[in-house]
Amino acid sequence: MKRKWGYAVAGVAVLVIAGAMIYQALATSLVYFVLPNEYAAEPERYDARRLRLGGIVADQSVAFDESDLRLTFLVTDGIVSFPVSHFGAPPDLFEENVGVVIEGHFEGEVFMSDNVLVRHSEVYEAEEGVIDVEALRESLK
Amino acid sequence: MNLIDLGTLGSAASALALALALYAMIAGAIGAVRRDARLQTSARLTAVAVFLATSIAIVAMVAALLTDDFSVKYVAEHSRIASPTWVKVVTLWAALEGSILLWAWLLTAYTAVLATTTPNTVLRPWALAIMQFVSVFFLLVVVVVANPFVVLANPPLDGPGANPLLQNHWMMAVHPMLMYLGFVGLTIPFAFAMAALITRRPGTEWMAQTRRWTLAGWGFLTAAIVAGGWWSYEVLGWGGYWAWDPVENVSFMPWLTATAFLHSVQVQERRRMLKSWNVLLIVLTFALSILGTFLTRSGVVSSVHAFGDGPVGPVFLGFFFVITLGSLGLVAWRWDQVRDRAELDAAVSREGAFLGVNVLFLAMTFAVLLGTLFPLIVEAINGSRVTVGAPFFDQISLPLWMLVLWLMGVGPLLPWRRAEGQSLRRNLAAMSVGFAVAAVAAFTFGMRGIYPLLTVGLAGWNVVSIGLLLAGAVVPRARLARRGLAATTLRYANEQRRKVGSMVVHLGVVVMALGILASSAYRTDVQLRLPYGERVAFASYELEALRPFAEQDLGRTSVGVEVGVIQDGRQLEVLRPRINVFAQNSMAVATPAVHYTAAHDLYLSVAGAVDPNADAVIMRVVQSPGIIWVWIAGAIMALGTVWALTPMASRRKALAEAPLGERSPA
Repeated sequence: MKRKWGYAVAGVAVLVIAGAMIYQALATSLVYFVLPNEYAAEPERYDARRLRLGGIVADQSVAFDESDLRLTFLVTDGIVSFPVSHFGAPPDLFEENVGVVIEGHFEGEVFMSDNVLVRHSEVYEAEEGVIDVEALRESLK
Repeated sequence: MNLIDLGTLGSAASALALALALYAMIAGAIGAVRRDARLQTSARLTAVAVFLATSIAIVAMVAALLTDDFSVKYVAEHSRIASPTWVKVVTLWAALEGSILLWAWLLTAYTAVLATTTPNTVLRPWALAIMQFVSVFFLLVVVVVANPFVVLANPPLDGPGANPLLQNHWMMAVHPMLMYLGFVGLTIPFAFAMAALITRRPGTEWMAQTRRWTLAGWGFLTAAIVAGGWWSYEVLGWGGYWAWDPVENVSFMPWLTATAFLHSVQVQERRRMLKSWNVLLIVLTFALSILGTFLTRSGVVSSVHAFGDGPVGPVFLGFFFVITLGSLGLVAWRWDQVRDRAELDAAVSREGAFLGVNVLFLAMTFAVLLGTLFPLIVEAINGSRVTVGAPFFDQISLPLWMLVLWLMGVGPLLPWRRAEGQSLRRNLAAMSVGFAVAAVAAFTFGMRGIYPLLTVGLAGWNVVSIGLLLAGAVVPRARLARRGLAATTLRYANEQRRKVGSMVVHLGVVVMALGILASSAYRTDVQLRLPYGERVAFASYELEALRPFAEQDLGRTSVGVEVGVIQDGRQLEVLRPRINVFAQNSMAVATPAVHYTAAHDLYLSVAGAVDPNADAVIMRVVQSPGIIWVWIAGAIMALGTVWALTPMASRRKALAEAPLGERSPA
């Protein structure tokens, strides 16, 4: 009987430790998907976190420096836009006005990206020149 | 168009298979209840008929794919005329409806083999009825929910072709097949476990009768996971092989529980303990393989393999609940029989180690499941879209794997029931020396960090452990028989196939751990601008972009760059990383090229686009140390499994020749 209690105590201890470890690991490795306006609304909530930023590559904002392989562009959801700095060549099919999901983190107002994913979709324009934010969000996530 | 209407033939054959399977299930169950041998035999023979009918459906589908019969919906949606023949065949499992048909076919094949080869026991009729129950589910999906044979009134002239990612590498022909062979193989112990509960015989019969199937299923699943990793390494272009993508996770979870099962059945075989635990583990394994299909195929968890929305996901979810609740109900109903009467004598014993490793594998399964489902939970609660990054899975599974490696060294050396102090302490001391030597060596070679040093140390620990196990068995035998050590080792390996097979698999795990450590902790991943005709230094190499090329193949266009790999002024190889575009499907797939060596791989993948008029190309260059050992480790594990499965060539002969003293079991 005594030994059974021993096993029970050990079991509970293991569960508690495992729970704490899982909580800790989850808290540090959750990556939120946000649009620029959602980030702008409460930047402190996503402070220094790794994010997946969705949006559209703004018109005439793309520049690629061939010598140090630095790609810069503006990502926008039609409400807010942020400058993005990405190390590496523009991925295939990357162009202006295309939907992208960028992974990285904010350093001040600049989003430092380490991965750019091109998402093809043609549903974001509610009417000529105006972006349908909900449709954009749905199509990128 | 065709002499026979393949779509109608396929529909008819799968409907016939469904009807036959339904009959075999009901007749088998009634035959089992009434102990009616004629009904049982009828059900067994029908199993073969189910297999033949499903085979006709498969043949019809393959024929439709090969003859470009676009009146069949599946062919119209997933195949195209210009594809090479092997791609057309593989298209059978390149999309959802076809893969379910394939799964159903393998299931009916296994059931037919089982029906004709298993010895006649009390369990057999029930086990076959359960197998037919699962077959009925899959055939029902084929016939009703996701019928690939629907005939189109206005067939298109050509189709879009299979998913480019899938037709980009021959490995994709192998990986899903291995996966289904694994899942189907593990259905058999599940069926026998249910039969054991129904017949109130939860002893060791059901596991003894399915031992080979279990091991084979596990081996296929292991091979499938390694093959899938290799595929993503050679195709996806980021230079890694495991990203904790949902689709990877759902194949990994049944593997974890199957591995736990493989170990805990031995406790029941030797000590008659863990009866309910073993039943629950095999239920969990089977249920997770079904849940995995739901998660990846319903689109609830977005993933590269998602085949789109549709009714198939919910149907699998429903089947998952039926399986889980049904089996748990059965366990509860038979609780009196499955309750353990024996007790653990001591924690430090073989069964204690098996129990420990079980807890670790289950904890890992839970963590992987939580990480995979967490985005759904968060989205349901507050609408935020999150992903659980690889760091979560690494943080949770690394410490658990360290404990697994530690136990893997200790467990096999512990005796059953209770360990005596003397020999155990000597063994542990030797293993600790192995640990220390390996860890110190790693440290002097510049390795730092707790996990790298622990992994290398535990590799040393395990190598000594395997050495001790082998020496402990071989040396006394050699002495007794007055034979050489090498000859005795060979003889022992041949006679004790299960034991030696497990040692080989464990060695494979050690190699795998080292390969994963080296390739993930010490990889270099950069992008380089390579001007044509210039040599650019990278690590110990120089890379020279020689010239761009463009080529047309059957149904695909490739543009790429020839890159010379130079070391010490000598050109070792010309690599051809490229971007493949499959016609009619504008999706471009960057296809990497790899320079394989035993020490490390040099992995080139075109970053961005190839512009033939530019004076340079931008290349992603990854150097991963030791990555080849991950694949070699997979091969070692497969070899060990095959060794344990193949019967000894000349068991009788060996017994007849052996001197008397050798006959007593070790």
